[in-house]
Amino acid sequence: MGEIATACQHFAAYVKEFGFDSFSVVHAFFSACVTKEARRRKALSCLCYTCGGSGPQLYSCLHCIYFGCKGQHILDHLKTSKHVIALELCYGMIYCNSCKDFIYDQQCQAIAEKHLRKEARNLNKSVSWRPWIPSQVEMNLLRQHPKRRHVTPCSSIGLRGLLNLGSTCFMNCIVQALIHTPLLRDYFLSERHECSIKSSINCLVCEVSRLFQEFYSGARGPLSLHRLLHLIWNHARHLAGYEQQDAHEFFMATLDVLHRHCENSQNNESDKNSIAQKTETSNTQCNCIIDQIFTGGLQSDVVCQKCQGVSTTIDPFWDISLDLGEAQPGGGPPKSLIDCLERFTRAEHLGSNVKIKCSNCESYQESTKQLSMRTLPIVASFHLKRFERISLINKKISTFISFPSELDMTPFMSQKKDNHGDYRYSLYAVVNHVGTLDKGHYTAYVRHQKDIWVKCDDDIITTATIKQVLDSEGYLLFYHKKVLEYE
Amino acid sequence: MTLTKSVDQVTILKGDRSKLKDLLRSRLIECGWRDEVRLLCHNTIKEKGFNLTVEQIVQDVTPKARARVPDSLKKELLMKIKSSLAAQEGIEL
Ligand SMILES: [Zn+2]
Ligand SMILES: [Zn+2]
Ligand SMILES: [Zn+2]
Ligand SMILES: [Zn+2]
Ligand SMILES: [Zn+2]
Ligand SMILES: [Zn+2]
Repeated sequence: MGEIATACQHFAAYVKEFGFDSFSVVHAFFSACVTKEARRRKALSCLCYTCGGSGPQLYSCLHCIYFGCKGQHILDHLKTSKHVIALELCYGMIYCNSCKDFIYDQQCQAIAEKHLRKEARNLNKSVSWRPWIPSQVEMNLLRQHPKRRHVTPCSSIGLRGLLNLGSTCFMNCIVQALIHTPLLRDYFLSERHECSIKSSINCLVCEVSRLFQEFYSGARGPLSLHRLLHLIWNHARHLAGYEQQDAHEFFMATLDVLHRHCENSQNNESDKNSIAQKTETSNTQCNCIIDQIFTGGLQSDVVCQKCQGVSTTIDPFWDISLDLGEAQPGGGPPKSLIDCLERFTRAEHLGSNVKIKCSNCESYQESTKQLSMRTLPIVASFHLKRFERISLINKKISTFISFPSELDMTPFMSQKKDNHGDYRYSLYAVVNHVGTLDKGHYTAYVRHQKDIWVKCDDDIITTATIKQVLDSEGYLLFYHKKVLEYE
Repeated sequence: MTLTKSVDQVTILKGDRSKLKDLLRSRLIECGWRDEVRLLCHNTIKEKGFNLTVEQIVQDVTPKARARVPDSLKKELLMKIKSSLAAQEGIEL
Protein backbone atom coordinates (compact mmCIF):
# COMPACT_ATOMS: atom_id res chain seq x y z
CA MET A 1 0.00 0.00 0.00
CA GLY A 2 3.00 2.26 -0.52
CA GLU A 3 1.48 4.28 -3.36
CA ILE A 4 -1.43 5.56 -1.35
CA ALA A 5 0.10 9.04 -1.08
CA THR A 6 -0.02 9.91 -4.77
CA ALA A 7 -2.72 12.42 -5.52
CA CYS A 8 -2.97 13.86 -9.02
CA GLN A 9 -1.19 16.92 -10.43
CA HIS A 10 -4.49 18.86 -10.37
CA PHE A 11 -4.82 18.39 -6.66
CA ALA A 12 -1.16 19.32 -6.17
CA ALA A 13 -1.82 22.57 -8.07
CA TYR A 14 -4.97 23.17 -6.02
CA VAL A 15 -3.08 22.74 -2.73
CA LYS A 16 -0.33 25.02 -3.90
CA GLU A 17 -2.85 27.78 -4.51
CA PHE A 18 -5.36 27.25 -1.67
CA GLY A 19 -3.71 25.04 0.95
CA PHE A 20 -5.66 22.58 3.11
CA ASP A 21 -7.92 25.06 4.89
CA SER A 22 -11.05 24.65 2.79
CA PHE A 23 -10.73 20.89 2.90
CA SER A 24 -10.30 20.93 6.67
CA VAL A 25 -13.24 23.24 7.38
CA VAL A 26 -15.66 21.60 4.95
CA HIS A 27 -14.70 18.14 6.19
CA ALA A 28 -15.03 19.08 9.88
CA PHE A 29 -18.46 20.69 9.42
CA PHE A 30 -20.17 18.76 6.67
CA SER A 31 -18.55 15.34 6.52
CA ALA A 32 -17.43 14.39 10.03
CA CYS A 33 -19.59 16.91 11.97
CA VAL A 34 -17.19 17.29 14.88
CA THR A 35 -19.48 19.38 17.12
CA LYS A 36 -23.14 19.98 17.82
CA GLU A 37 -22.92 23.28 15.97
CA ALA A 38 -21.48 21.45 12.95
CA ARG A 39 -24.38 19.00 13.00
CA ARG A 40 -26.84 21.89 13.17
CA ARG A 41 -25.23 23.58 10.20
CA LYS A 42 -25.11 20.40 8.20
CA ALA A 43 -28.76 19.59 8.93
CA LEU A 44 -29.96 23.08 7.99
CA SER A 45 -27.73 24.28 5.21
CA CYS A 46 -26.13 21.29 3.56
CA LEU A 47 -28.59 21.11 0.66
CA CYS A 48 -28.04 20.92 -3.07
CA TYR A 49 -27.79 24.44 -4.52
CA THR A 50 -29.40 23.23 -7.70
CA CYS A 51 -32.39 21.19 -6.52
CA GLY A 52 -32.55 21.76 -2.75
CA GLY A 53 -32.31 18.04 -1.98
CA SER A 54 -30.47 16.68 1.06
CA GLY A 55 -28.86 13.68 -0.48
CA PRO A 56 -28.39 10.77 -0.42
CA GLN A 57 -24.90 11.73 -1.57
CA LEU A 58 -23.81 15.35 -1.70
CA TYR A 59 -20.54 16.88 -2.87
CA SER A 60 -19.08 20.18 -1.82
CA CYS A 61 -16.97 22.28 -4.16
CA LEU A 62 -13.61 23.06 -2.57
CA HIS A 63 -13.09 26.24 -4.63
CA CYS A 64 -16.29 28.08 -3.72
CA ILE A 65 -19.34 27.63 -1.54
CA TYR A 66 -21.48 25.15 -3.43
CA PHE A 67 -23.19 21.90 -2.48
CA GLY A 68 -24.58 19.62 -5.18
CA CYS A 69 -26.02 16.16 -5.60
CA LYS A 70 -23.77 13.42 -6.85
CA GLY A 71 -23.96 13.31 -10.65
CA GLN A 72 -25.29 16.11 -12.85
CA HIS A 73 -25.69 18.85 -10.23
CA ILE A 74 -22.14 18.91 -8.92
CA LEU A 75 -20.63 18.05 -12.32
CA ASP A 76 -22.46 20.96 -14.01
CA HIS A 77 -21.17 23.33 -11.36
CA LEU A 78 -17.57 22.15 -11.69
CA LYS A 79 -17.77 22.41 -15.46
CA THR A 80 -19.38 25.85 -15.75
CA SER A 81 -17.31 27.49 -13.03
CA LYS A 82 -14.11 25.68 -14.07
CA HIS A 83 -13.61 24.35 -10.57
CA VAL A 84 -11.76 21.05 -10.29
CA ILE A 85 -11.63 19.66 -6.76
CA ALA A 86 -14.72 18.62 -4.77
CA LEU A 87 -15.32 16.74 -1.54
CA GLU A 88 -17.75 13.83 -1.36
CA LEU A 89 -19.45 14.34 2.02
CA CYS A 90 -20.77 10.88 2.88
CA TYR A 91 -17.35 9.24 3.13
CA GLY A 92 -15.13 12.33 2.98
CA MET A 93 -13.47 11.39 -0.33
CA ILE A 94 -11.75 13.93 -2.57
CA TYR A 95 -12.88 14.03 -6.18
CA CYS A 96 -10.88 15.47 -9.08
CA ASN A 97 -13.01 16.49 -12.03
CA SER A 98 -10.06 16.59 -14.41
CA CYS A 99 -9.15 12.99 -13.59
CA LYS A 100 -12.85 12.14 -13.28
CA ASP A 101 -11.91 10.02 -10.32
CA PHE A 102 -11.41 9.95 -6.57
CA ILE A 103 -7.92 10.72 -5.36
CA TYR A 104 -6.03 9.99 -2.18
CA ASP A 105 -3.89 12.47 -0.32
CA GLN A 106 -2.05 11.44 2.81
CA GLN A 107 -2.27 14.81 4.50
CA CYS A 108 -6.02 15.04 3.92
CA GLN A 109 -6.45 11.54 5.25
CA ALA A 110 -4.61 12.46 8.43
CA ILE A 111 -6.87 15.50 8.87
CA ALA A 112 -9.95 13.36 8.23
CA GLU A 113 -8.80 10.79 10.81
CA LYS A 114 -8.46 13.54 13.38
CA HIS A 115 -11.96 14.82 12.65
CA LEU A 116 -13.50 11.35 12.86
CA ARG A 117 -11.91 10.80 16.26
CA LYS A 118 -13.24 14.15 17.39
CA GLU A 119 -16.71 13.30 16.11
CA ALA A 120 -16.64 9.97 17.94
CA ARG A 121 -15.66 11.69 21.16
CA ASN A 122 -18.37 14.30 20.71
CA LEU A 123 -21.03 11.66 20.15
CA ASN A 124 -19.65 9.44 22.88
CA LYS A 125 -19.23 6.49 20.53
CA SER A 126 -16.30 4.49 19.25
CA VAL A 127 -14.59 5.48 16.02
CA SER A 128 -16.23 3.70 13.11
CA TRP A 129 -14.48 0.60 11.98
CA ARG A 130 -11.77 1.00 9.42
CA PRO A 131 -9.31 -1.59 8.24
CA TRP A 132 -5.93 -1.39 9.91
CA ILE A 133 -3.26 -0.42 7.44
CA PRO A 134 0.12 -0.88 9.11
CA SER A 135 2.49 1.99 8.54
CA GLN A 136 6.04 1.37 7.35
CA VAL A 137 7.27 1.60 10.93
CA GLU A 138 4.68 -0.89 12.16
CA MET A 139 5.43 -3.21 9.27
CA ASN A 140 9.13 -3.25 10.15
CA LEU A 141 8.38 -3.87 13.80
CA LEU A 142 6.16 -6.79 12.89
CA ARG A 143 8.82 -8.29 10.65
CA GLN A 144 11.39 -8.06 13.40
CA HIS A 145 9.18 -9.87 15.89
CA PRO A 146 10.91 -13.25 16.36
CA LYS A 147 7.74 -15.08 17.34
CA ARG A 148 5.60 -13.63 14.56
CA ARG A 149 2.86 -16.07 13.62
CA HIS A 150 0.78 -16.34 10.52
CA VAL A 151 -2.65 -17.88 10.97
CA THR A 152 -3.69 -20.04 8.02
CA PRO A 153 -6.64 -22.43 7.66
CA CYS A 154 -4.40 -25.39 8.47
CA SER A 155 -2.51 -23.85 11.37
CA SER A 156 -2.94 -25.39 14.78
CA ILE A 157 -2.64 -22.18 16.78
CA GLY A 158 -5.26 -22.23 19.51
CA LEU A 159 -5.16 -26.00 19.91
CA ARG A 160 -3.53 -27.64 22.92
CA GLY A 161 -4.17 -31.00 24.50
CA LEU A 162 -4.86 -31.10 28.24
CA LEU A 163 -3.29 -33.66 30.57
CA ASN A 164 -5.60 -35.86 32.57
CA LEU A 165 -4.73 -35.34 36.24
CA GLY A 166 -6.72 -38.39 37.32
CA SER A 167 -10.35 -38.29 36.09
CA THR A 168 -10.20 -34.62 35.21
CA CYS A 169 -11.52 -35.07 31.68
CA PHE A 170 -14.72 -33.29 32.80
CA MET A 171 -12.65 -30.16 33.40
CA ASN A 172 -10.59 -30.53 30.22
CA CYS A 173 -13.75 -30.62 28.13
CA ILE A 174 -15.22 -27.50 29.69
CA VAL A 175 -11.94 -25.63 29.32
CA GLN A 176 -11.74 -26.61 25.63
CA ALA A 177 -15.29 -25.32 25.11
CA LEU A 178 -14.55 -22.04 26.93
CA ILE A 179 -11.26 -21.48 25.10
CA HIS A 180 -13.08 -21.86 21.79
CA THR A 181 -15.85 -19.40 22.68
CA PRO A 182 -15.10 -16.56 20.24
CA LEU A 183 -16.17 -13.62 22.39
CA LEU A 184 -14.43 -14.97 25.48
CA ARG A 185 -11.27 -15.46 23.47
CA ASP A 186 -11.46 -11.88 22.18
CA TYR A 187 -11.92 -10.59 25.71
CA PHE A 188 -8.96 -12.46 27.17
CA LEU A 189 -6.57 -12.04 24.25
CA SER A 190 -7.13 -8.29 24.33
CA GLU A 191 -6.22 -8.40 28.03
CA ARG A 192 -9.26 -6.58 29.27
CA HIS A 193 -9.23 -8.04 32.79
CA GLU A 194 -7.79 -5.56 35.27
CA CYS A 195 -7.04 -7.50 38.37
CA SER A 196 -7.95 -5.98 41.69
CA ILE A 197 -6.97 -8.94 43.83
CA LYS A 198 -3.68 -8.31 45.60
CA SER A 199 -1.98 -11.55 44.72
CA SER A 200 -3.10 -12.33 41.22
CA ILE A 201 -1.98 -15.93 41.81
CA ASN A 202 -5.30 -16.40 43.60
CA CYS A 203 -7.36 -14.84 40.84
CA LEU A 204 -9.21 -17.31 38.68
CA VAL A 205 -9.75 -14.74 35.95
CA CYS A 206 -6.00 -14.12 35.76
CA GLU A 207 -5.47 -17.88 35.55
CA VAL A 208 -7.91 -18.18 32.65
CA SER A 209 -6.18 -15.20 31.04
CA ARG A 210 -2.87 -17.04 31.34
CA LEU A 211 -4.44 -20.17 29.84
CA PHE A 212 -5.56 -18.27 26.77
CA GLN A 213 -2.00 -17.03 26.30
CA GLU A 214 -0.75 -20.61 26.59
CA PHE A 215 -3.29 -21.89 24.07
CA TYR A 216 -2.35 -19.22 21.55
CA SER A 217 1.40 -19.25 22.20
CA GLY A 218 2.03 -21.50 19.21
CA ALA A 219 3.47 -24.27 21.38
CA ARG A 220 1.99 -27.69 20.75
CA GLY A 221 2.64 -29.77 23.87
CA PRO A 222 -0.21 -30.60 26.23
CA LEU A 223 -0.97 -28.31 29.17
CA SER A 224 -1.67 -29.19 32.77
CA LEU A 225 -4.61 -27.47 34.45
CA HIS A 226 -3.58 -28.19 38.06
CA ARG A 227 -3.54 -24.50 39.03
CA LEU A 228 -6.99 -23.91 37.60
CA LEU A 229 -8.29 -27.02 39.33
CA HIS A 230 -6.97 -25.91 42.72
CA LEU A 231 -8.39 -22.42 42.30
CA ILE A 232 -11.81 -23.79 41.50
CA TRP A 233 -11.61 -26.20 44.43
CA ASN A 234 -10.85 -23.26 46.69
CA HIS A 235 -13.87 -21.34 45.49
CA ALA A 236 -16.32 -24.20 44.94
CA ARG A 237 -15.64 -26.64 47.74
CA HIS A 238 -18.29 -29.15 46.70
CA LEU A 239 -16.20 -29.99 43.64
CA ALA A 240 -12.99 -30.75 45.52
CA GLY A 241 -11.50 -34.20 45.22
CA TYR A 242 -9.97 -36.24 42.45
CA GLU A 243 -12.98 -38.35 41.56
CA GLN A 244 -14.94 -37.94 38.35
CA GLN A 245 -17.27 -34.96 38.42
CA ASP A 246 -20.22 -33.99 36.32
CA ALA A 247 -19.06 -31.74 33.47
CA HIS A 248 -22.26 -29.72 33.60
CA GLU A 249 -21.92 -29.03 37.29
CA PHE A 250 -18.32 -28.04 36.74
CA PHE A 251 -19.29 -25.70 33.91
CA MET A 252 -21.88 -23.93 36.07
CA ALA A 253 -19.44 -23.67 38.98
CA THR A 254 -16.72 -22.24 36.73
CA LEU A 255 -19.05 -19.56 35.34
CA ASP A 256 -20.13 -18.73 38.87
CA VAL A 257 -16.60 -18.40 40.24
CA LEU A 258 -15.49 -16.33 37.24
CA HIS A 259 -18.54 -14.08 37.57
CA ARG A 260 -17.91 -13.61 41.30
CA HIS A 261 -14.28 -12.64 40.64
CA CYS A 262 -15.32 -10.11 38.02
CA GLU A 263 -18.00 -8.74 40.30
CA ASN A 264 -15.45 -8.23 43.07
CA SER A 265 -13.13 -6.23 40.88
CA GLN A 266 -16.07 -4.12 39.66
CA ASN A 267 -17.17 -3.41 43.22
CA ASN A 268 -13.65 -2.46 44.22
CA GLU A 269 -13.63 0.03 41.42
CA SER A 270 -16.84 1.67 42.54
CA ASP A 271 -15.49 1.77 46.10
CA LYS A 272 -13.11 4.39 44.86
CA ASN A 273 -15.99 6.41 43.49
CA SER A 274 -18.85 6.58 45.91
CA ILE A 275 -20.94 4.35 48.10
CA ALA A 276 -24.15 5.69 46.64
CA GLN A 277 -23.12 4.45 43.26
CA LYS A 278 -22.37 1.04 44.66
CA THR A 279 -25.86 0.46 46.01
CA GLU A 280 -27.18 1.54 42.67
CA THR A 281 -25.17 -1.00 40.71
CA SER A 282 -26.02 -3.87 43.02
CA ASN A 283 -29.66 -3.64 41.98
CA THR A 284 -28.99 -3.79 38.28
CA GLN A 285 -27.82 -6.85 36.42
CA CYS A 286 -24.16 -7.74 36.53
CA ASN A 287 -22.28 -6.64 33.46
CA CYS A 288 -19.19 -8.83 33.75
CA ILE A 289 -17.86 -10.63 30.69
CA ILE A 290 -19.45 -13.91 31.83
CA ASP A 291 -22.88 -12.33 32.13
CA GLN A 292 -22.45 -10.42 28.88
CA ILE A 293 -21.83 -13.68 27.05
CA PHE A 294 -23.84 -16.32 28.90
CA THR A 295 -26.82 -14.66 30.59
CA GLY A 296 -30.25 -14.83 29.03
CA GLY A 297 -33.70 -14.16 30.47
CA LEU A 298 -36.30 -16.89 30.88
CA GLN A 299 -39.91 -15.75 30.99
CA SER A 300 -42.46 -17.73 32.94
CA ASP A 301 -46.15 -17.04 32.42
CA VAL A 302 -48.52 -18.56 34.97
CA VAL A 303 -52.12 -18.41 33.76
CA CYS A 304 -54.96 -18.74 36.23
CA GLN A 305 -57.52 -21.22 34.87
CA LYS A 306 -60.40 -19.36 36.42
CA CYS A 307 -59.87 -15.78 35.31
CA GLN A 308 -57.14 -16.27 32.70
CA GLY A 309 -55.07 -13.68 34.54
CA VAL A 310 -51.38 -13.93 33.68
CA SER A 311 -48.54 -13.35 36.06
CA THR A 312 -45.17 -13.03 34.41
CA THR A 313 -41.72 -13.39 35.94
CA ILE A 314 -38.35 -13.21 34.25
CA ASP A 315 -35.34 -15.02 35.62
CA PRO A 316 -31.77 -14.95 34.39
CA PHE A 317 -30.21 -18.19 33.16
CA TRP A 318 -26.77 -19.36 32.08
CA ASP A 319 -27.87 -22.56 30.42
CA ILE A 320 -30.97 -24.56 29.67
CA SER A 321 -31.41 -28.07 31.01
CA LEU A 322 -33.61 -30.24 28.83
CA ASP A 323 -35.54 -33.38 29.87
CA LEU A 324 -35.10 -36.47 27.74
CA GLY A 325 -37.65 -38.78 29.39
CA GLU A 326 -41.12 -39.66 28.08
CA ALA A 327 -43.24 -36.58 27.74
CA GLN A 328 -46.51 -36.71 29.69
CA PRO A 329 -49.08 -37.68 28.88
CA GLY A 330 -48.47 -40.36 26.31
CA GLY A 331 -46.13 -38.41 24.01
CA GLY A 332 -42.96 -40.35 23.23
CA PRO A 333 -39.48 -39.26 24.19
CA PRO A 334 -37.94 -36.31 22.31
CA LYS A 335 -35.80 -37.21 19.32
CA SER A 336 -34.13 -33.90 18.60
CA LEU A 337 -32.98 -30.71 20.26
CA ILE A 338 -35.93 -28.94 18.65
CA ASP A 339 -38.31 -31.51 20.22
CA CYS A 340 -36.70 -30.82 23.59
CA LEU A 341 -37.05 -27.06 23.17
CA GLU A 342 -40.66 -27.35 22.03
CA ARG A 343 -41.40 -29.39 25.10
CA PHE A 344 -39.50 -26.96 27.30
CA THR A 345 -41.60 -24.02 26.06
CA ARG A 346 -44.97 -25.82 25.93
CA ALA A 347 -47.74 -24.64 28.28
CA GLU A 348 -48.00 -27.17 31.06
CA HIS A 349 -50.87 -27.76 33.40
CA LEU A 350 -49.51 -27.66 36.92
CA GLY A 351 -52.02 -30.33 38.12
CA SER A 352 -55.02 -30.23 40.38
CA ASN A 353 -53.01 -30.57 43.61
CA VAL A 354 -50.94 -27.52 42.92
CA LYS A 355 -52.99 -24.42 43.52
CA ILE A 356 -51.33 -21.08 43.10
CA LYS A 357 -52.61 -17.80 44.42
CA CYS A 358 -53.73 -15.70 41.49
CA SER A 359 -52.91 -12.05 41.94
CA ASN A 360 -55.77 -11.08 39.67
CA CYS A 361 -58.76 -12.86 41.23
CA GLU A 362 -57.08 -13.15 44.63
CA SER A 363 -57.83 -16.85 45.12
CA TYR A 364 -55.99 -20.15 44.93
CA GLN A 365 -56.58 -21.70 41.54
CA GLU A 366 -55.28 -24.33 39.17
CA SER A 367 -52.98 -22.82 36.63
CA THR A 368 -50.85 -23.50 33.60
CA LYS A 369 -47.26 -22.44 33.28
CA GLN A 370 -45.37 -21.65 30.11
CA LEU A 371 -41.69 -20.85 29.69
CA SER A 372 -40.23 -18.82 26.83
CA MET A 373 -37.05 -16.95 26.00
CA ARG A 374 -37.35 -13.29 26.88
CA THR A 375 -33.77 -12.49 25.97
CA LEU A 376 -31.13 -14.78 24.56
CA PRO A 377 -27.48 -14.89 25.54
CA ILE A 378 -24.68 -14.67 23.00
CA VAL A 379 -23.75 -18.23 23.85
CA ALA A 380 -26.71 -20.55 24.26
CA SER A 381 -25.66 -23.72 26.04
CA PHE A 382 -27.97 -26.68 26.34
CA HIS A 383 -27.65 -29.44 28.88
CA LEU A 384 -29.27 -32.70 27.79
CA LYS A 385 -30.26 -34.35 31.04
CA ARG A 386 -28.77 -37.77 30.36
CA PHE A 387 -28.26 -38.58 34.04
CA GLU A 388 -31.31 -39.46 36.03
CA ARG A 389 -31.66 -40.41 39.62
CA ILE A 390 -34.75 -42.56 40.26
CA SER A 391 -35.18 -43.91 43.79
CA LEU A 392 -31.48 -43.69 44.61
CA ILE A 393 -30.41 -45.41 41.42
CA ASN A 394 -28.43 -43.37 38.92
CA LYS A 395 -29.31 -44.04 35.33
CA LYS A 396 -27.92 -42.76 32.07
CA ILE A 397 -30.21 -42.08 29.12
CA SER A 398 -28.27 -42.80 25.94
CA THR A 399 -31.02 -42.25 23.37
CA PHE A 400 -29.95 -40.45 20.23
CA ILE A 401 -30.93 -36.79 20.18
CA SER A 402 -30.18 -35.07 16.91
CA PHE A 403 -29.01 -31.47 17.03
CA PRO A 404 -28.42 -29.06 14.14
CA SER A 405 -25.26 -27.17 13.28
CA GLU A 406 -27.36 -24.05 12.64
CA LEU A 407 -30.16 -23.29 15.06
CA ASP A 408 -32.86 -20.63 14.87
CA MET A 409 -34.32 -19.79 18.29
CA THR A 410 -37.06 -17.48 16.95
CA PRO A 411 -39.93 -19.97 17.64
CA PHE A 412 -39.02 -20.07 21.33
CA MET A 413 -39.03 -16.33 21.98
CA SER A 414 -41.60 -14.72 24.28
CA GLN A 415 -42.62 -12.02 21.84
CA LYS A 416 -43.28 -13.33 18.39
CA LYS A 417 -45.11 -10.39 16.84
CA ASP A 418 -43.11 -7.36 15.75
CA ASN A 419 -39.93 -9.11 16.70
CA HIS A 420 -37.26 -8.32 14.15
CA GLY A 421 -34.36 -9.73 16.09
CA ASP A 422 -31.99 -12.23 14.56
CA TYR A 423 -31.88 -15.34 16.73
CA ARG A 424 -29.76 -17.64 14.61
CA TYR A 425 -27.00 -19.63 16.26
CA SER A 426 -24.14 -21.87 15.12
CA LEU A 427 -22.87 -24.89 16.95
CA TYR A 428 -19.26 -24.49 18.10
CA ALA A 429 -18.68 -27.08 20.84
CA VAL A 430 -20.15 -30.38 21.99
CA VAL A 431 -19.19 -32.18 25.19
CA ASN A 432 -19.83 -35.93 25.20
CA HIS A 433 -19.97 -38.47 27.97
CA VAL A 434 -18.96 -41.94 26.82
CA GLY A 435 -19.31 -45.17 28.71
CA THR A 436 -21.23 -45.94 31.85
CA LEU A 437 -21.91 -43.75 34.85
CA ASP A 438 -19.06 -44.87 37.09
CA LYS A 439 -16.58 -45.77 34.35
CA GLY A 440 -17.35 -42.84 32.12
CA HIS A 441 -15.10 -40.51 30.18
CA TYR A 442 -15.65 -37.06 28.73
CA THR A 443 -14.50 -35.85 25.30
CA ALA A 444 -15.27 -32.67 23.43
CA TYR A 445 -15.64 -31.58 19.83
CA VAL A 446 -14.76 -27.94 19.23
CA ARG A 447 -14.89 -25.78 16.13
CA HIS A 448 -11.31 -24.69 15.54
CA GLN A 449 -12.01 -22.51 12.53
CA LYS A 450 -14.99 -22.16 10.25
CA ASP A 451 -15.83 -25.68 9.02
CA ILE A 452 -12.82 -27.19 10.79
CA TRP A 453 -13.65 -29.35 13.79
CA VAL A 454 -11.34 -31.16 16.18
CA LYS A 455 -11.91 -33.80 18.80
CA CYS A 456 -10.30 -33.15 22.18
CA ASP A 457 -9.70 -36.31 24.18
CA ASP A 458 -7.54 -35.06 27.07
CA ASP A 459 -4.03 -34.66 25.62
CA ILE A 460 -4.96 -36.08 22.20
CA ILE A 461 -6.32 -33.73 19.56
CA THR A 462 -7.51 -35.14 16.25
CA THR A 463 -9.38 -33.61 13.35
CA ALA A 464 -13.05 -34.45 13.02
CA THR A 465 -15.81 -34.03 10.47
CA ILE A 466 -19.04 -32.16 11.11
CA LYS A 467 -20.82 -35.48 10.54
CA GLN A 468 -18.94 -37.07 13.43
CA VAL A 469 -19.88 -34.10 15.59
CA LEU A 470 -23.57 -34.25 14.68
CA ASP A 471 -23.67 -38.04 15.05
CA SER A 472 -22.20 -37.94 18.55
CA GLU A 473 -24.41 -38.47 21.57
CA GLY A 474 -24.25 -34.92 22.90
CA TYR A 475 -24.32 -34.00 26.58
CA LEU A 476 -23.60 -30.27 26.55
CA LEU A 477 -24.22 -28.31 23.35
CA PHE A 478 -22.74 -24.85 22.85
CA TYR A 479 -24.16 -22.48 20.25
CA HIS A 480 -22.84 -19.01 19.39
CA LYS A 481 -25.06 -16.22 18.15
CA LYS A 482 -24.44 -15.41 14.50
CA VAL A 483 -25.27 -11.71 14.55
CA LEU A 484 -24.23 -9.62 17.50
CA GLU A 485 -26.30 -6.65 18.52
CA TYR A 486 -24.39 -3.55 19.51
CA GLU A 487 -25.63 -1.53 22.41
CA MET B 1 -40.43 20.01 3.47
CA THR B 2 -40.15 16.51 2.11
CA LEU B 3 -40.11 13.49 4.39
CA THR B 4 -36.62 12.39 3.37
CA LYS B 5 -35.29 15.83 4.05
CA SER B 6 -36.72 15.98 7.57
CA VAL B 7 -35.55 12.45 8.34
CA ASP B 8 -32.10 13.49 7.17
CA GLN B 9 -32.19 16.62 9.29
CA VAL B 10 -33.36 14.95 12.48
CA THR B 11 -30.87 12.09 12.30
CA ILE B 12 -27.99 14.42 11.47
CA LEU B 13 -28.90 16.87 14.20
CA LYS B 14 -29.02 14.25 16.93
CA GLY B 15 -25.84 12.58 15.79
CA ASP B 16 -27.77 9.35 15.20
CA ARG B 17 -26.89 9.53 11.54
CA SER B 18 -23.32 8.71 12.25
CA LYS B 19 -24.23 5.87 14.63
CA LEU B 20 -26.67 4.42 12.11
CA LYS B 21 -23.94 4.52 9.49
CA ASP B 22 -21.60 2.64 11.84
CA LEU B 23 -24.28 0.05 12.53
CA LEU B 24 -25.02 -0.40 8.85
CA ARG B 25 -21.35 -0.78 8.08
CA SER B 26 -20.73 -3.43 10.74
CA ARG B 27 -23.86 -5.35 9.74
CA LEU B 28 -22.81 -5.40 6.10
CA ILE B 29 -19.42 -6.70 7.10
CA GLU B 30 -20.85 -9.34 9.46
CA CYS B 31 -23.22 -10.81 6.92
CA GLY B 32 -20.53 -11.09 4.25
CA TRP B 33 -22.03 -8.40 2.03
CA ARG B 34 -18.79 -6.45 1.84
CA ASP B 35 -16.86 -9.50 0.69
CA GLU B 36 -19.47 -10.26 -1.95
CA VAL B 37 -19.37 -6.70 -3.25
CA ARG B 38 -15.60 -6.76 -3.33
CA LEU B 39 -15.86 -9.84 -5.54
CA LEU B 40 -18.39 -8.10 -7.79
CA CYS B 41 -15.95 -5.21 -8.23
CA HIS B 42 -13.18 -7.64 -9.05
CA ASN B 43 -15.33 -9.23 -11.70
CA THR B 44 -16.28 -5.89 -13.25
CA ILE B 45 -12.63 -4.88 -13.49
CA LYS B 46 -11.68 -8.24 -14.96
CA GLU B 47 -14.45 -7.98 -17.53
CA LYS B 48 -14.07 -4.36 -18.57
CA GLY B 49 -10.36 -3.78 -18.21
CA PHE B 50 -8.24 -1.75 -15.85
CA ASN B 51 -8.97 1.73 -17.21
CA LEU B 52 -12.28 2.02 -15.41
CA THR B 53 -13.01 4.98 -13.14
CA VAL B 54 -14.59 4.45 -9.74
CA GLU B 55 -17.77 5.97 -11.17
CA GLN B 56 -18.01 3.29 -13.83
CA ILE B 57 -17.46 0.50 -11.32
CA VAL B 58 -20.04 2.02 -8.98
CA GLN B 59 -22.56 2.20 -11.81
CA ASP B 60 -22.02 -1.40 -12.74
CA VAL B 61 -21.99 -2.85 -9.23
CA THR B 62 -24.58 -0.73 -7.41
CA PRO B 63 -27.75 -2.49 -8.64
CA LYS B 64 -26.33 -5.92 -7.81
CA ALA B 65 -24.96 -4.75 -4.48
CA ARG B 66 -28.28 -3.14 -3.51
CA ALA B 67 -30.16 -6.32 -4.30
CA ARG B 68 -27.89 -8.23 -1.96
CA VAL B 69 -28.60 -6.15 1.16
CA PRO B 70 -30.52 -8.52 3.47
CA ASP B 71 -34.17 -7.62 4.12
CA SER B 72 -33.67 -8.19 7.84
CA LEU B 73 -31.04 -5.44 7.85
CA LYS B 74 -33.33 -3.01 6.03
CA LYS B 75 -36.02 -3.79 8.60
CA GLU B 76 -33.65 -3.31 11.50
CA LEU B 77 -32.46 0.02 10.19
CA LEU B 78 -35.99 1.19 9.57
CA MET B 79 -36.90 0.37 13.16
CA LYS B 80 -33.84 2.24 14.41
CA ILE B 81 -34.69 5.29 12.30
CA LYS B 82 -38.29 5.17 13.50
CA SER B 83 -37.26 5.10 17.14
CA SER B 84 -34.76 7.88 16.52
CA LEU B 85 -37.56 10.02 15.07
CA ALA B 86 -39.96 9.05 17.85
CA ALA B 87 -37.45 10.34 20.39
CA GLN B 88 -36.95 13.64 18.58
CA GLU B 89 -39.21 15.75 20.77
CA GLY B 90 -37.49 18.83 22.04
CA ILE B 91 -35.45 19.35 18.93
CA GLU B 92 -36.10 22.53 17.12
CA LEU B 93 -35.25 22.83 13.48
ZN1 LIG C 1 -17.13 25.82 -7.02
ZN1 LIG D 1 -29.36 18.33 -6.50
ZN1 LIG E 1 -6.74 15.21 -11.07
ZN1 LIG F 1 -7.20 -11.22 38.15
ZN1 LIG G 1 -21.29 -11.24 36.43
ZN1 LIG H 1 -57.30 -15.75 38.66
